Amino acid sequence: MSNVPNAELDSLLARLADGDRAAFTDVFRLLWQPVLRLCTSMLRNEADAADAAQQALEKILVRCTDYDRKRAALPWALAIAAWECRTLARKRTRRRELPEDNAPELGSGSEDDLTRRELVAAGVAALGELSAEDREVLVATFWEEAASVSGATLRKRRERALKRLRDTFKRLYGLD
Amino acid sequence: MDSIDVTRIERRARLKYEWSRARRAVLGFGPALIVVVIAALASKHPNAAVAFGGAMFVVGVTLLWYGRDVRRGVLPGLAMGLIPLVLGLCANHMGHACQGDHCMTLCVPACTAGGLAAGIGVSLIGLRWKQGLAFWTGATALTLLTGAMGCSCAGYTGVAGLAIGYAVGLLPGLIRRGRATWGKSNQA
Repeated sequence: MSNVPNAELDSLLARLADGDRAAFTDVFRLLWQPVLRLCTSMLRNEADAADAAQQALEKILVRCTDYDRKRAALPWALAIAAWECRTLARKRTRRRELPEDNAPELGSGSEDDLTRRELVAAGVAALGELSAEDREVLVATFWEEAASVSGATLRKRRERALKRLRDTFKRLYGLD
Repeated sequence: MDSIDVTRIERRARLKYEWSRARRAVLGFGPALIVVVIAALASKHPNAAVAFGGAMFVVGVTLLWYGRDVRRGVLPGLAMGLIPLVLGLCANHMGHACQGDHCMTLCVPACTAGGLAAGIGVSLIGLRWKQGLAFWTGATALTLLTGAMGCSCAGYTGVAGLAIGYAVGLLPGLIRRGRATWGKSNQA
């Protein structure tokens, strides 16, 4: 994650938003791995993660004209990817899908695994209730990426976003 | 995870990117169709107005879709093109100016004056924004096509008057810009 050159990505995405097609492949290559990693960590299923990463990348590139040049590109892109993962996870929950390769194994640890996945799904659902800005701050925190602001402002934003996430979680599930 | 065909995904994403740009360009330039409709309704040669208006719409959408410097010429080009368009349409309805036995159509002088004003306007904006050749080209194409919707009142003469007026208005600014660019490249 940390090997993505942020300044380079910011400038490449700004160029692409302006219509410079020469930046397309570089933006795609710089974003593919971080987006795929985020999707894999959120969905815990390679096939779903690949699908979500593809959808997310398409959305990021389609919406690149909306990209605010004053802000960092990576958290913005990862927030879109996180939203895409959340949408896919919700669809999967709605269909009561349980992929075979991801089914809990019998024996020790399977209970923990299931609990962990349920908690992740609940967390992602709660994240989806937040505003885009809050999501972006929390995704940036997750990846230990500094957003466009730093220091006290970022800390304050993060605290507020975390408080709102806790409140949402409490409202949805009745527990902290 | 190794089985993911990244090249195919990239191609698909590129296609979606281009489609999204095209859609935005059509939506962004859509309001210009109102100008075309008004020009066609007000003009005595609606077919010519629609033909020039259609060309103006296609060029505007293409410039917005392509992006970069050329995109920046869209709004100034359209705005400046409204000057000869309005003057041309007004002259079209005023008919002729007569002095004694001699009468002349007002369309050609109105279009030439409108073209001159539009040329000066585009060159002022281009110089102020320090734009390159792409901006000047894009703005010129749109100004001429927008103005031509109103200047078709006198046939090709009206459009020629517009083009001549525009060239005269634009030339000083273009020379100044060219000299500035040439001076910079010489310094480098």
